[in-house]
Amino acid sequence: MHISFLLHNAYGIGGTIRTTFTLAGTLAERHDVEIVSVFRHREEPTLGAPPGVTMRHLLDLRQGSSTYDGTDPDYTRPARVFPRGDGRWKQYSRLTDARIAAYLRSLEADVVVGTRPGLNVHIARQAPRGPVRVGQEHLTLDSHGYRLRREIAHRYTLLDAVTTVTEADALAYRTRLRLPDVRIEAVPNSVPAPAVAPADGDGTWVVAAGRLLKVKRYDLLVKAFSKVVAARPDWRLRIYGGGDATGNERAALLDLIARRELHNHVFLMGPVHPLEPEWVKGSIAAVTSNRESFGMTIVEAMRCGLPVVSTDCPHGPREIIEDGVDGLLVPVGDEDAIADALLALINDDEFRRRAGAAALKASERFDPARIAERHEALFAELVAGGVRVRSRSALRDVVHRSRGAVLDAAYALRYRAADAVRKGKAA
Amino acid sequence: MTVPTGERVPRADCIADAAGGVTFDIAGTGAPGALLVLRRRGGAGDTVRLPLTPAGGNHSRAVLPSTVELAEGHWDAYTDDGAAVEPGIRDLRALVGRVPEAVRIAVRVPYPTADGRLAVRCWVREPHAEAGDIAVSQGACTVEGVLYGAVLGAGAVAEARLGETVHRVPPTADCAGGRFAVTLEYATLAGPAADGERLWTLWLRPSADAEPVRISRILDDVWDRRNVFVYPAHEGEGYRAAPCYTADNDLCVRLSPPG
Repeated sequence: MHISFLLHNAYGIGGTIRTTFTLAGTLAERHDVEIVSVFRHREEPTLGAPPGVTMRHLLDLRQGSSTYDGTDPDYTRPARVFPRGDGRWKQYSRLTDARIAAYLRSLEADVVVGTRPGLNVHIARQAPRGPVRVGQEHLTLDSHGYRLRREIAHRYTLLDAVTTVTEADALAYRTRLRLPDVRIEAVPNSVPAPAVAPADGDGTWVVAAGRLLKVKRYDLLVKAFSKVVAARPDWRLRIYGGGDATGNERAALLDLIARRELHNHVFLMGPVHPLEPEWVKGSIAAVTSNRESFGMTIVEAMRCGLPVVSTDCPHGPREIIEDGVDGLLVPVGDEDAIADALLALINDDEFRRRAGAAALKASERFDPARIAERHEALFAELVAGGVRVRSRSALRDVVHRSRGAVLDAAYALRYRAADAVRKGKAA
Repeated sequence: MTVPTGERVPRADCIADAAGGVTFDIAGTGAPGALLVLRRRGGAGDTVRLPLTPAGGNHSRAVLPSTVELAEGHWDAYTDDGAAVEPGIRDLRALVGRVPEAVRIAVRVPYPTADGRLAVRCWVREPHAEAGDIAVSQGACTVEGVLYGAVLGAGAVAEARLGETVHRVPPTADCAGGRFAVTLEYATLAGPAADGERLWTLWLRPSADAEPVRISRILDDVWDRRNVFVYPAHEGEGYRAAPCYTADNDLCVRLSPPG
């Protein structure tokens, strides 16, 4: 198959970029794969281009480049095709509208894959009949604002398939949006086997990792660790991850650590990449978030042989961890439950080692080869089905698109009215 | 060294062992006689050449044994044609919670420099005073530690130094395993109000006629703990005080104007 991935910016750093690179690189072992980056602001992809994958871009934003697009008058005119509800809307323009349209019009791929809602909308609206059209959801339906949910509910009807990273989110798409003819499948993110030997479970460190953001609830973890230290002062906690832009969360956590007199037991390690050699310094991983759209760090820790204590938050953790076998799930926001779960693993060396070994085994299902096979099977099935059995007929496309134009105008009016009301309230 | 195309920047994965040895694994097979070169930053001509030998699977390996002397400092890694080496996966788990067995302590921590090169941070201490937990209470801090390679005897004293000024306090020693504890009253270090920041360096003199030993924390995988080991500050009269580490992992008490 010839597969074309449409990515916001293949030259930056982020979970979607990493996941897309891993998938594209794995598929490229058997298929003709390209990644089309809407934006390019540097020579080489920061994360390193995946082997065997053709990379190209639609807008050149490299300073000093002879094909620099930043001076095009359309570059500063607001986008009309890319939906306003997508958080990246401000970066899109009349120029991206045109370039993405031209790319989609000239598609020779069997499958085109969008990697964020705005790009999925582009594919639904502008891809010609022929290629299989897949929209990937790397976040969750819940995490999108009202405006974006309305927009995708209406636009995604012209996709052949939507993939989510959890079953829970797939269920949300199936039940909360009316997309009767669209295949909705959950395919989790993949994590490669780590380059280091797994943890041996003998160390006395708990490890957590992720940016220092409020939603990660490291405050709960630190408080829970007070109780852990009271019982087992020989155990310590490392939290890896950079601060948010303000640095407020790091300052707040340091303050909490000081107030709880945990400065000899809890350490904020700062951003570290790669994380694999850091996980294996620990014997237990902890995730205390209020929300995890997937739970990448849980899989990463398990692939390093660590049992994970995680909050049973929406959406990912309970689809990754088998409670009591390869980790422990605890209620969201319950510091005592977190402490008790950590102590259950700390106080029982045999349980900890057994759970670590189980985590190592269970997490093999997230291996890139196995995950790529699931995407491949879906793509192949849709391609084999041909245009007729897929969701769309030419007539339906036309009807939907003209109805869409009318609805667009109506929505635009309505949003403007809603904006005015909100602005009024804020003032 | 011949670098294969597509591997323009040589990248080394490192594994550190508890005794101070480091193994470097570089992708690509080097030409016969290829070397990994460690050069001490700011040390004119201080160079260690390690042979790169085929390690199977299109990899070459260089080994820095714990027995090879490396002076204290930062050692940058190069190939023998002068190209800087990028840090790959650094497996340093053996360094975490290290309890040294040798009297002469050699620490080698491979780390990424700020500009993305591979370097090795080395410490050589004999004897060595390793700082551990630090208790902070009203107006004082108590540093617990372990002395290696010397025994605390008669006249043992801990010293806080600021330029020519030396402030001495007796350590409490627990002979088992060389453990010691030192309590420092911030008020005695504060002195008259000052504008800038003052760093009192901390030392341990094992006996009356012994040379003082710098109190540091080097027996783990953290090559720069300034922003990781952060201690609560005490607000005194006209000053603020807190224990802290320097970029070289030496322990200090920092006195600064009230915040």
